[in-house]
Amino acid sequence: MTRLSFLLSRRSTLGLAASFCCTFAACGGDTARSGPSNELLIVGYDREPDTMNRYATHILEDIESCVVEGLVTNDENMQIIPVLAAEIPTTENGGVVVRADGGMDVTWKLRPGVKWHDGVSHTSADVKFTVDAINKGDWKPESVDGFDRISSVDNPDSLTAIVHYKEVYAPYQLQFVRGTLPRHVLEGRDLNTANDYNRAPLGTGPYKVKEWKTGEYILLERAEGYWRGAEYPKIKQLLFRFLTNTTTRINLLKSGEVHMVALVAWDKVRELTAISGLRMNRVVGNGYEHVTLNQRHFTPFAEVKVRQALAHAVDRDLLVRTILDGQVAVVNGPIQPLSPAYEPKVPTYGFDPARARTLLAEAGWVPGADGIRAKNGQRLAFTLITQSGFAIRENVSQALQEAFRDVGAEMTVKLLDGTSISSVWFKGDFDAMLHWWQMGADPELTLFFAGDRMPPAGRNINYINDAELTSLLYRSDRTADVAQRNELLREAQRRIAALAPEIVLYNTAKIDAVPKALKGFTGNPTNAGPFWNVHLWEIGTP
Amino acid sequence: MKSGPRGGLLFLAALVVASLLAPYFAPFAADALDLADRRAAPSLVHWFGTDELGRDVLTRVLVGARVSLAIGVLSALMSAAIGVAVGAVAGYAGRRTDDALMRATDAMLAIPRLPLLMLGAAVLQPGVPMLILLVAAAGWMETARVVRAEVQSLSSLDFVQAARAIGANPVRVIARHIVPGIIPAATVATTLAIGRGILLESTMSFFGVGVQPPTASWGNMLYQAQTAMTSEPWLAIFPGLFIFATVLACNTVGDAIGSSPTQHQSV
Amino acid sequence: MRGLIVRRLLQSIPLLVLISVLVFALLQAVPGGPLSAYLENPNVRPQDIERLRAAMGLDRPLAEQYLSWLSAFVRGDWGYSFADGRPVFDRVLERVPATLELVGASTLLALCIALPVGVLASVHRLFDRISSFGAVAGISLPVFWFGLLLQLVFAITLGWLPSSGRTSFGVSSFADRVAHLILPVMVLAAVQAAAWSRYLRRAMRETVGRPFMNAARVRGVSERGVLLRHALPNALGPFITVVLLDAAMMASGAVVTESVFAWPGVGSLFTESLVKRDYPVLMAFLMFGAVAVMVLNLIADIAVRTIDPRARGAT
Repeated sequence: MTRLSFLLSRRSTLGLAASFCCTFAACGGDTARSGPSNELLIVGYDREPDTMNRYATHILEDIESCVVEGLVTNDENMQIIPVLAAEIPTTENGGVVVRADGGMDVTWKLRPGVKWHDGVSHTSADVKFTVDAINKGDWKPESVDGFDRISSVDNPDSLTAIVHYKEVYAPYQLQFVRGTLPRHVLEGRDLNTANDYNRAPLGTGPYKVKEWKTGEYILLERAEGYWRGAEYPKIKQLLFRFLTNTTTRINLLKSGEVHMVALVAWDKVRELTAISGLRMNRVVGNGYEHVTLNQRHFTPFAEVKVRQALAHAVDRDLLVRTILDGQVAVVNGPIQPLSPAYEPKVPTYGFDPARARTLLAEAGWVPGADGIRAKNGQRLAFTLITQSGFAIRENVSQALQEAFRDVGAEMTVKLLDGTSISSVWFKGDFDAMLHWWQMGADPELTLFFAGDRMPPAGRNINYINDAELTSLLYRSDRTADVAQRNELLREAQRRIAALAPEIVLYNTAKIDAVPKALKGFTGNPTNAGPFWNVHLWEIGTP
Repeated sequence: MKSGPRGGLLFLAALVVASLLAPYFAPFAADALDLADRRAAPSLVHWFGTDELGRDVLTRVLVGARVSLAIGVLSALMSAAIGVAVGAVAGYAGRRTDDALMRATDAMLAIPRLPLLMLGAAVLQPGVPMLILLVAAAGWMETARVVRAEVQSLSSLDFVQAARAIGANPVRVIARHIVPGIIPAATVATTLAIGRGILLESTMSFFGVGVQPPTASWGNMLYQAQTAMTSEPWLAIFPGLFIFATVLACNTVGDAIGSSPTQHQSV
Repeated sequence: MRGLIVRRLLQSIPLLVLISVLVFALLQAVPGGPLSAYLENPNVRPQDIERLRAAMGLDRPLAEQYLSWLSAFVRGDWGYSFADGRPVFDRVLERVPATLELVGASTLLALCIALPVGVLASVHRLFDRISSFGAVAGISLPVFWFGLLLQLVFAITLGWLPSSGRTSFGVSSFADRVAHLILPVMVLAAVQAAAWSRYLRRAMRETVGRPFMNAARVRGVSERGVLLRHALPNALGPFITVVLLDAAMMASGAVVTESVFAWPGVGSLFTESLVKRDYPVLMAFLMFGAVAVMVLNLIADIAVRTIDPRARGAT
């Protein structure tokens, strides 16, 4: 035992260390957990932006949109509303004119009195500069869609920009949803390397970037002299903490270290509902989850009866009630009820395994010894791919597996990570895929269902090629009149439902966990995101 | 120290038997969904509770044990084989071969193992067999070093020198005189590698690049359970405990062999 | 000594080339590639993707891509991150302090545990049994699981400590930083302390049995003096080597710990870049890790030779 004596002094040292820990713990606990206030709102955000440049980023523009405003945005009802534009150009108000040569002129009237954060006026020259910068070709923004159809921009005065399109371009209203680039800052510069702008863009919005601490957070600070009036925005600072791990985000919400989280996974809502002081804000999203049936890769999917039978085999109500915790709703087509082009009266495929078996038998698929149906020596066995790391999809795909087995089809599930799965579907190298399409505010179907829009020309990965449908879709694209276009799109939806090129499951929901005390928050069904009206947000009494 | 390794061996044996026999005595099929009975807390019917799809967690832990153990054991055996081969050749052959092999070993050791494996798994999106290969490929270096040192010291012994001097076939010399001498060291390294392999699998699966569902492994069960830690802790606690207990058992056994009187000089 | 350093540095060149080829080859096999993130966006058309591919130089032959990468890397130009267009060197460098802080604190704590435990275990039977079990348990812990449990207990349930991050926003006190460090450091240190205490115990045991130790005892040096003044210094040489060599293990552990605790270090940069398939950053991480390990190896060699005179003659 004498050997132990020299170690005795250690005990007191350890005691000291322990008491230190407790002190620190108490301090850390207090400081990290102050609630939301009009001084500071902390947002747990699932990823760090690649850039704050709205045109270059390939993730959602939530943070950017607090700084850089578009000429228009989508409100909580998916309506397109003017922001930096004075009004939305339409054929009725003379803002849109179809030229005799088949082209189109769109006249944007800008809101007067808007200034960039540095005090310079926002003008039509900025609109022209934006178009030219994107069309010049040496910059790599994420997308140039629509811009490549613009031949030129005229500026008759500082608040009017006339955009000349080479052809009719139906989604023109959202052309400048990402805003404009400040000409006086960026002219003559290489936008790829203009990191001062790309990291802390000059905008006209309610906030400006105060600090971007890589790997940790972006801090936005109230911009003085905001054009809507000195009373906006009401919250002084917005802090976006980057928390890639879902568990971490939820834990920090629970411990009060973050105040809100945008886009909560549906199966996590249940867990968050229990947290006092939080409110789950739910808006129906503009997207739909479905099983793509690639009829080129797995030829039995080319038979409409097989597709319809599989659709009948799935108890979508049960899936929604259980795995999805009732957070979404069963839907029947690619265009969602919020859209003016939505068609409610389409053929539907309710849960009816008996009907499914009959359809398969009619198509000549008879059960083999193992219960799996076969026809001409081919078994009705295919592989479904879906994204890994997405608990709901992993669970739904296993439920689908059981449902299909019940009617005599064998489905193997293969999980692929997000980036690999994109390249696989882009090559059309799969049988079936469980995924969603998030649709733009403009109800475009052509890209997804026209017979000539299979990859790489588009996203028709069902590889459906129906002449009637294709013709309908292209006619809708070339119709500038909104009401007429919607009528064509409604007919297209009926046709799609009859063909059942894919198994439509349920819509998406955008659920944001926000403090009960946060007033003015509405959420948003489109990619405009929940921060679209951030200038109105205010912390009041819950 | 006697009870530790014995307990470890007993635990491992029981686990192997239970996982192999699971389909015969478990009251539930591993992939049977029961959407009406999801997230049930542990009870007499479901000892470890049920998961998000109403599957019995105990059954899945036992079935998952097959995958986790298979990866641990097979990768350890493979890396032992590679390690012994590389180490023996390097230790026995001349300077140049030795240099080349040891440089390769050093290179592999210099790259941080887990990031390398995660990257490899992200690139190759492996199934279970490929995953075993990957873990083995990242784990042979320590064995190679130990074996090389052992072979070098054995080679300098008189009877080996004598055998070489009379021109005996090197393969024969290695098989006859060298291999028996390195078995103890290789055994320790392999036992420890089993535990390490199980840990690596679970860590990779935890990051979503290991075993992919619906195949159950302890790692991906934890991965799926991590967001439900507060509401359904049993989903995370049981697979985690099994990983811990199994690795602990392997390490206790390895430790006991390694520190037994005949062996303690070798590592 | 200088000869040794020069020789080691020369030896490390082919090693680094080998590693770089390995890493580059691995990254080429990535399905999807860095541009696949763009495919998810319905607004990006194939022409856009081809345009970006050319802009990033991904359409050139592989050998050419490798050589241009390697020559630039040697000159300290590590390229630009695909994810945010900033220089890779900057991105890695800005994360280093956080990782050093975490690994440094963990190493200190692990040493504070391993040194006394290792010494005591070498002389005291019962303590040896208990600490041996503790040590084996420590190296058997699944790090991420242990981290989640600590988070659940100390941050979520008890609310004593922040669950993640490096600082609380707007608070720049020392106490706040320490509070954030405690949980991740406990996780990282647990495994290291376990491994190191085992190693030190063994090294001490071997030293204690040596003849010169008995000589000291015969000279009437107290048992405590024998241990601390004679056995410990002799055991420390190999111990320090092991501590330095374990740096690679710490890097692995840091990847896991940093992502569990959202610690903004190099490890979480790696996991973030892996998700985004940010090749230049991933390559830089692995190369950086390899270089760091080799440097530590060299330091370990030098340290051993400085501490333990008997090793000086050997290469």
